[in-house]
Amino acid sequence: MYAATTVLGGTGTGLMGFYLGLGFAMVMRKLFGYPDLWERDLCLSVGYVFGLVGWVLGIGLWGQWAREWFGMKTYANGAQGWQRYFTFCTDHKVIGIQYMVWFVVVFLAAGFMAMLMRVELAQSGMQFFNHDQYNAVMSLHGILMVAVAIAAVIGGFGNYAVPLMIGADDMAFPRLNALTFWLVPPVGIMLLATPFLGGLEAGWTAYPPLAVQTESAQTLFNLALMTFGLVSILGGLNFIVTVIYLRAEGMTWSRLPIFVWAMFLTAILALFYTQGIFVALFMVLLDRIGGMSFFNEANGGDPLLYQHVFWFYSHPAVYIMVLPGFGVALELLTHFSRKPLFAYRYAVGGLIGIVGLSGVVWAHHMFTSGMPNYLHPPFLVATELISIPTGLVFLAGLGTIWMGRVWLQTPMLFALAVLFNFACGGVTGIFLADVPTDIHLQDTYFVVAHFHYTIVGGEIFALFGGIYYWFPKMTGRMYNERLGKIHFWMMFIGFNVTFFIMHLPGIQGMNRRIADYPSEFDNINMVISIAAFFLGSSFLVFFYNIIWSWFRGPAAAANPWRARTLEWQTSSPPPHDNFESPPVIKGHPYDYGVPGSVHATFPMGAAHAPAGGGGGGGGGGGG
Amino acid sequence: MNKAMQLGMIIAVILAVLTVVEYIFAVNVDDTAIRFYGLSGAAIAKAALIVWYFMHFGRVFRPEEAH
Amino acid sequence: MAVAAPAMHHKGPDRTAINRLGLWLFFFSESLIFALLLSSRFFLEGLNIPLKHGSDEQAVDQVLGLAITVILLLSSVTAFTGETAFEHGRKRLGHWMILATIVLGLIFAGGVAYEWKTAHFTRGEAFGTVFFTMTGVHASHVMSGVIMLGLVWVQALRGKYNEKNHWPVSGVVMYWHFVDVVWVFFYPALYLV
Ligand SMILES: [Cu+2]
Repeated sequence: MYAATTVLGGTGTGLMGFYLGLGFAMVMRKLFGYPDLWERDLCLSVGYVFGLVGWVLGIGLWGQWAREWFGMKTYANGAQGWQRYFTFCTDHKVIGIQYMVWFVVVFLAAGFMAMLMRVELAQSGMQFFNHDQYNAVMSLHGILMVAVAIAAVIGGFGNYAVPLMIGADDMAFPRLNALTFWLVPPVGIMLLATPFLGGLEAGWTAYPPLAVQTESAQTLFNLALMTFGLVSILGGLNFIVTVIYLRAEGMTWSRLPIFVWAMFLTAILALFYTQGIFVALFMVLLDRIGGMSFFNEANGGDPLLYQHVFWFYSHPAVYIMVLPGFGVALELLTHFSRKPLFAYRYAVGGLIGIVGLSGVVWAHHMFTSGMPNYLHPPFLVATELISIPTGLVFLAGLGTIWMGRVWLQTPMLFALAVLFNFACGGVTGIFLADVPTDIHLQDTYFVVAHFHYTIVGGEIFALFGGIYYWFPKMTGRMYNERLGKIHFWMMFIGFNVTFFIMHLPGIQGMNRRIADYPSEFDNINMVISIAAFFLGSSFLVFFYNIIWSWFRGPAAAANPWRARTLEWQTSSPPPHDNFESPPVIKGHPYDYGVPGSVHATFPMGAAHAPAGGGGGGGGGGGG
Repeated sequence: MNKAMQLGMIIAVILAVLTVVEYIFAVNVDDTAIRFYGLSGAAIAKAALIVWYFMHFGRVFRPEEAH
Repeated sequence: MAVAAPAMHHKGPDRTAINRLGLWLFFFSESLIFALLLSSRFFLEGLNIPLKHGSDEQAVDQVLGLAITVILLLSSVTAFTGETAFEHGRKRLGHWMILATIVLGLIFAGGVAYEWKTAHFTRGEAFGTVFFTMTGVHASHVMSGVIMLGLVWVQALRGKYNEKNHWPVSGVVMYWHFVDVVWVFFYPALYLV
C-alpha cells in the first residue's frame, strides 16, 4: 500500500539518519581529540538533525523534489483517496486536512494533560503527581497548546481555504507546502516523547539558566521547537507569495476576504518574527551542548538576553495565534448576519496596525525581570496603544451584527463567543500591561486566566467555529447541528466558569506553574477543577459529532450557508483543481442584500454562471 | 553583456574601496561612538550596493520581465 | 504592497517572478537570525573587542579578517559575472566563474577555520561565544552556498541552462550575495568596532 510504504519508508530513512548522525558526531569527537566519544545531548542533537533530514527525504522529498537538484527525473505521487493523507501530497486541500486532523489530535492530548493538572490542583498538597511529573505535564501542556494555537488555524484553514478564497488552484510552492507539513509529525512525536526521556522542567518559555542547567529532555524540546519554527517560517513564506501572485482576475486587495487578509498579515508576522524563537532556542542549545556562555553570568553572559530575544518573537506570536482567529470570526459574523462586513477598510487597517505595533511591545513580559527601569514606560505605552487597532477590529465585528439578520447556527455561536471572550481577555490585559498592577499580578493565576481568555477565547473558539463552518466543504458531509450546539454551550459555559474564577486566586497571589498551594485556596480550586472537567467533557461531544458525521453524516450541498465567498462556489469537496473554470471577480465578497451585486463569475464554465450573487437570504446555493 | 559586466566591476571597485576605507578608519579613530556610526554607515552603504546591483532587488517589482 | 500588479494576469503569473519573491522573503526572514545575533553581540559585549590575555593587542587577527573579507567580496564579483554570463548565453565563461566562486568560498571557509584554530579566546567566554556563533552560523551558510553552487555547476556543465532558463543559477547567486551582505555587517562588528 502506498500510504504504508511512504510512512514506513520515511520512518526507516529517519532512523538511518539518526544512527548516521550519532556515528558522525562520535567520529568528529574522535577527530577533534575528545577523550570520551559519547556526550549525550550533543550526540543526540546531531542524530536528531540527521534523522529529521532522513525522515523528510524518505517521506517524499527525495523522490518528488530533491532528485531534480541532481538532474534526475522525479516521481509523481501515485496515491489516491484516503491514502493521499499519508503521503507527500502537494494538494493544498489535502495538506489543510492533514494539519487540521494532526492538530486537533494534539489538542486532545494537550487538553488531557490540562485535565491531569486540574486533578492535581483540585486540592492543596501532592496527591497524584510528584513535582517533577507535574512540571513535565505542565510544560508539555503549555508548549503543545502553543503549537496548536499557532498552527491549527493557519495550517488547517489557511491551507485549505486561502487558495480557494482567492480563486487559485493551489499554493505558490506546493512541494514546499508538503515538505512543511511533514516536518510537523517529528515535532509532535518528539515533544510527546519528552516525559519518557527525562521530562521538562523549565515550562514552555524555557528560560535560562534553568533551561541550560537542567538534566531533563530540554535539548530535545529545543530541537523540536526549532523545527516547528521552520514550519512557521516556510508556511508563512508560502502564504505571502500565494496571496500576492495567485489571486484570481479581479481579486483586488480591497476585495480580499477578511480571512485572507488576516492570514496574509499573520504570515508576515510568522515569516519575520519566528526567527526570534529560533535564535533564542539555538542559543540555549549552544550553551547546553556547545559549552558557550550566552546566559552564563559568570563568564560574561546575561540571562536577560534570552528573555529579550524570546519575547521579541513570543509577543508577536500571540498575534500569529489570534489574527487568524479574528479573520475566521469576522468571516463568520458577516456570513451569518447576512450583511456586509461593517467598516471593512477599518478592520483591515486595524489588522495592519496590530502587525505594525506587535514588534515593539515585547518587554511588557519582563517588567519584573530586572531590566532597566527606563524601559518600562515606552513598553507600557506601546502595549496600551495596541488596543486601538484591536478595538477597530472588534468594532467591525460588533457593527456587523448590528441590525443584521443573525442566523444562529453553530459556527455563528462560536464567532459571537469570540467577541465576548476576547473583550474579557482584553480588559484583563490592561492590568498586565500596566507596570504597577503587573508587578503584583506577575506569575499568578491571573496571568493564566488572562491568556486563556485571549488565546482560547479568541482563537480556539474561532478554530471550532471554523471547523463547523468549513466541515461540509472539507468532507462533503454535514455535521449534526444539535450536537454542535450542545458542544458550544458546554464549552462556552465551562470555559467562562473555569477561567473567570481563576482570576480570583490570582489576585490573591496564588502562583502559577507550581503544583502545590496554600490550603486556603482549596475551595476555589475545587470549583475551578470541576468546571475544567466540564469544559474538557465538551470535546467528547465534539469528537463524537465530527467522527460520526465524517463517515455517516448527510451529504452536504455545495453551499449550505448560502455564503458568497469563492470556496462555496465549487463542489463540496472541491475538485483537484478547485474550480472547473477560473473565476473572475466582479465585486466585494460581503455585499449581502446589495441589489444586483455579484462576487464572482465563471465566464468559461456555463454550469456556474453567475455564482456568489444574490443577497439577503437568496442566491448561489447550486451545486 | 559588456555593459552589465562593466557595471558589476564598477560596483565591485566601490565596494573594495569602501572596505579599505572602513578598515583604515577603524584602525585610526579612537572615539568609540564615532567609529561605531562610521562603520555602520559604511556597512549599510555596502549592503545597499550589493542588494541593488548584485542581487537585482528592483526585479522584484518588475515581475513581468523574464529575468 | 507595491507588487500588486501581476494579480491581473490572465495566463497565470511568471514562475520565475514567484520563485524570486519567495527567495527574497526567505532572505528577509533569514536576515532576522543574523540581526538578532548581531544585537546579541552588542548586548553582551558592548562596543568592545577584548584584548589578548596579558597584552594590549586585540584578540582578533586583523590581517586575516581583512583578507577573508576581500576574498568573499571577490567571490561576489565572480558570482555576479557568472550569472550575467548565463543571462547572455556565454556558458563557458559562466562555468568558470561559478567554479571560481566555489574555490573562493572554500578559501573563505578555510580562513574562518584557521581563525578558529588560532583564536586567543575560548568559546566559554562571552566574546568567544558571540564570535564563534556568528562566524559559525555565517560559515555554515557559506558552506551550504558552496554545495548549492556545486550542484548548479554540475547541471550547468551538462548544459541544462541557457538565456531563457537559468533561474537556479540566479537563485543560488542571489543566495551567495546575501551571505556576502551578512558578512558586510558581521566583519566590522567582530573585527573593527
Ligand atoms: Cu505580550
